[in-house]
Amino acid sequence: MADAFPATLAGPTSKERRYDRQLRLWAASGQQALEDARVLLVNSDGPLGSSSTGVSGVAGVETLKNLVLPGIGGFTIVDPAMVTEADLGVNFFLEQDSLGKSRADETCRLLRELNPDVQGYSYSTPITELLQDPAFLPQHKLIIISGPAKRSTLDPLCLEAQELGIPVLYTHSVGFYATFSSQLAAEFPIVETHPDPETTQDLRLLNPWPELAGAAAALPNLEAMDDHQHGHVPYILLLLHFVEEWKQSHEGNAPANYKEKTEFREFVRSKTRTDNPEGGEENFDEAVAAVLKTISPFTLRSTIREIFEMEQCQTLTADSADFWIIASAINTFYTKHNVLPLPGSLPDMKAQSADYVSLQNIYKSKARADVEEVLATVRQLESQLNRPMAPIPDRDVEVFCKNAAHIKVVRGRAIPQINSNSDPETLSAIRNQLGLSQLGLPDSLVSVFIATQILDAVVDEIQSSAQSSSFSVDDEALWKSHTERILALLQRDDPTPLDEEARESIENAILELRRAEGGELHNIASLAGGLVAQEALKVLTRQYVPMDNTCVFDGARSRSEMYRL
Amino acid sequence: MQVAKEVAQKFQPNAKLEAYHANIMDRQFNIDWFKGFNIVFNALDNLAARRHVNHMCLAAGVPLIESGTTGFNGQVQVIKKGKTECYDCNEKATPTTFPLCTIRSNPSQPIHCIAWAKSWLMPELFGESEGEDSDVIDSTEDAGNADEIATLKKEALELKEILESMGSDNFCRKVFEKVFKIDIERLRGMEDMWKERQPPDVLDYDKLESDSAQIEPTVSELSRKEWSIEENFAVFKDSMDRLTKRLNELQSDWTGSKKPILSFDKDDEDTLDFVTAAANLRSTAFHIERKTKFDIKQMAGNIIPAIATTNAMTAGLCVLQAFKVLQHELDQAKMVFLERSGARAINSDSLDPPKPSCSVCSAVHGSVSVDAERATLHDLVNVLRSELDYGEEFSILNHGGNLVYDPDLEDNLPARLRDITNNLDYITVVDEDDVAQVPRVNLELFFVERAEASSEETKPVTLQQGLEIPRKAKKSTITSSEDNSITNGMSGPGKRKRDGEDEEMTNGHVAKKVAADQANGDGEDVIVLDEENGKDGGAILID
Repeated sequence: MADAFPATLAGPTSKERRYDRQLRLWAASGQQALEDARVLLVNSDGPLGSSSTGVSGVAGVETLKNLVLPGIGGFTIVDPAMVTEADLGVNFFLEQDSLGKSRADETCRLLRELNPDVQGYSYSTPITELLQDPAFLPQHKLIIISGPAKRSTLDPLCLEAQELGIPVLYTHSVGFYATFSSQLAAEFPIVETHPDPETTQDLRLLNPWPELAGAAAALPNLEAMDDHQHGHVPYILLLLHFVEEWKQSHEGNAPANYKEKTEFREFVRSKTRTDNPEGGEENFDEAVAAVLKTISPFTLRSTIREIFEMEQCQTLTADSADFWIIASAINTFYTKHNVLPLPGSLPDMKAQSADYVSLQNIYKSKARADVEEVLATVRQLESQLNRPMAPIPDRDVEVFCKNAAHIKVVRGRAIPQINSNSDPETLSAIRNQLGLSQLGLPDSLVSVFIATQILDAVVDEIQSSAQSSSFSVDDEALWKSHTERILALLQRDDPTPLDEEARESIENAILELRRAEGGELHNIASLAGGLVAQEALKVLTRQYVPMDNTCVFDGARSRSEMYRL
Repeated sequence: MQVAKEVAQKFQPNAKLEAYHANIMDRQFNIDWFKGFNIVFNALDNLAARRHVNHMCLAAGVPLIESGTTGFNGQVQVIKKGKTECYDCNEKATPTTFPLCTIRSNPSQPIHCIAWAKSWLMPELFGESEGEDSDVIDSTEDAGNADEIATLKKEALELKEILESMGSDNFCRKVFEKVFKIDIERLRGMEDMWKERQPPDVLDYDKLESDSAQIEPTVSELSRKEWSIEENFAVFKDSMDRLTKRLNELQSDWTGSKKPILSFDKDDEDTLDFVTAAANLRSTAFHIERKTKFDIKQMAGNIIPAIATTNAMTAGLCVLQAFKVLQHELDQAKMVFLERSGARAINSDSLDPPKPSCSVCSAVHGSVSVDAERATLHDLVNVLRSELDYGEEFSILNHGGNLVYDPDLEDNLPARLRDITNNLDYITVVDEDDVAQVPRVNLELFFVERAEASSEETKPVTLQQGLEIPRKAKKSTITSSEDNSITNGMSGPGKRKRDGEDEEMTNGHVAKKVAADQANGDGEDVIVLDEENGKDGGAILID
């Protein structure tokens, strides 16, 4: 007799249970990517002015909290600061007993308590010293830097990260403001972008493949059907059928523009039986509602075309990444068939079960056949190129085919800065944003970004100065000179003077930063930690589309904006 | 709750924190209790509780910060009576429902079989059965269904007999053969049903038992693998065993009045294994694809994905909105949305004024003092007529939304108020006098129990204050229910549809959709897939 199986043993692993709710978002592959990742947090950068520490680093720790809970593999905190009274008031990952101890060690200890599966490491040495060891940085899959950081720290760190292909997030949380920027690889491809399911439907009603067209043609005479049958013809078959009927009276052309489509919609509507007991038919309602969305020829989205045209896709080499090999194979498929591989999913619809299932099979078989074709091309490319690495898993090709219409390549940029070496594109993007208010649009939050750049410059000067301890973060003269310098830089490539409103909005942002004296509010830091960690999750799992490349949040106005700077 | 309090207390030892491990809908959290707060934060996981707190805060005049998250999306809404929209100003999506026949006789998708296993088989075997007198089927169904309806009734009776043998060695076989053989054979016999589709296959207990002899029940740990029919059979038997034992233990220790039952809980492995295996066996019989346990957990459990990041952001936004409310800057407060996509991570929208058509927040709140021993519904009706000018046409609902009085329902008049209300909490008076002009807005009367029994001369029910009860806005409340633009409990900016715009799509469906509260397998002709507690609607959740 089988004894009652203890429920605790019968279930999935405790890990699977703990992470159940998030596995629904990024699946096992995303979870694996997280568990394989160690994240570096550079949480402060040496003393600042008369205080022992530059950055209170709350947003940094809150970001890690949001990564430790879902189970990243590990983290490293680099923070030379000692815990002060002020820290205790804003940081939930410090306690009374932490006072006077290493902030790196203490926050690391308390963060580890959240999740025993996560490894934590802490260093109280400045990051510049740790970088002497060339093996240090490559242990990490992502670097998060809590600003303001000295340029002499930030620049070499970002440079090395770029060479190693490690993404960087540079964050500020000051007063009611939070800003953060990302530095991704020059080409950061994503296959699983998780588009809105509504946008992923590809039913091919205007260019059905033979089996689908056959199913519609095999439909018995609609008029002869009884009410039950008539009310259960899947709307996809109805539309295919009526398109053919329409073509006969329109010189063989399907409805092409909005006007024709609305006419076609009325045509379909007019075929609904209303003399039945229900006074209407659900399947016809569905067909009518689907006309505008689905009666369109297949067009390749320009973003996908651009990816096909990229050098990496056009010229494959033995060490091309898997992404480019599959992209190239799909491009070949597109060139041949003028469509992308069919995703194969079918929406729910009113139908007899058997009809639905057979229609579903038509879509699934076609999708499978398309995957097979792409797979064959991939294998061919692999052998032509003599790739040294393991063959691309079938599963990856299948996932790529499903998502082919929604893949994305983000072209990563360096962390944006306003200084004499600034990329002209960065400066002109900022000027554009500042000009928006003249067009009657609401104030751009880019002024907050500019203000944090000025804060960075002020802090940089204090920290680099020999008598740094004699300065305060609120030093009037320093702020004034750097404000003027940064504003001048903004007019470097575009000498039109900044208008009054733009200046005033920058001044206001500066006031908030100076009022806070670089300090953090826990509430904003926690929120910023959520925003930054969300970007970290996207970058680490390579799922969903990451921000490109700067986000500003203003807690006083509950507003956020994103820019590519 | 207690743990959260202790942790939070450490951050600020001077703050006064109180923790209740209780249901917010309990009577102890009455209107006076709500009035004791300057602000209320909602972080609930179900529609019923959200609506309840919304209602209590409106009545108590306390501002409410309503919030929720699902996956990467989150939302924060500030609610203040008379100033902003309330939670009920925008109707929330009702859960998906399936016609009874699809579930019981003619499934075509995995979800139909899951609903069958979770909402029919599981309660029939281990939970509250439908009971003899509750007629499952709406007898007004058209004649074509008559055979089918008779069949379903017969099936239910047969299952009852089998239940008697629970605990015996062949209980599992009996249940299996009942639902996968006898019932299916009967369905196959209804030839009309299988003209257009392949009839279902009968499953053979003996064959499956011998084919699955080598399969360990631990196969149920492989939650991402699609189990073979033999594996499903092994898990079916094993989980049935586990559940039977548990129910026996519960019932042998049972002393109370309500017989213990087992109900589906997505985080209870035994029930999840049972529902997974039963649903997959049924899918196999009906030639429908089988699903993994992982997928079925989501489909049956209405799982709302939740991640730390979204919760952190939403909590932060709640606090920011609370600052504005507490600083009396309600005009600065916002409706805030977190969205994964789009040009911004966070969108905000200014708060809309209350919808005049909303019967919840347009209601006038008042209180009556009552002598609990004496006060009857008749006393209350007299006060309404004589002091508040109500005419003949009005009805009274209690807290549960049950009708206790209308012109055609006078049976309750002699009943004591405390017996027909939820322990003297409150009642809602709905004016239906549309003769003269538009009726007045709803009136909600909260009862204040007198400390001592009053003398015979004092009236048993007295109004505590004068009340102005305005007429309803011209726009009728019925059209507002078409203004149903909400997906999954979240209303998004720019998603609001105009009244009636989508009528053609909902045409004919509306009547079939029954709110979750009323229809969880209690004899309506729909089966509602909802939260395990049977109360939830399109929930959003922070946990």
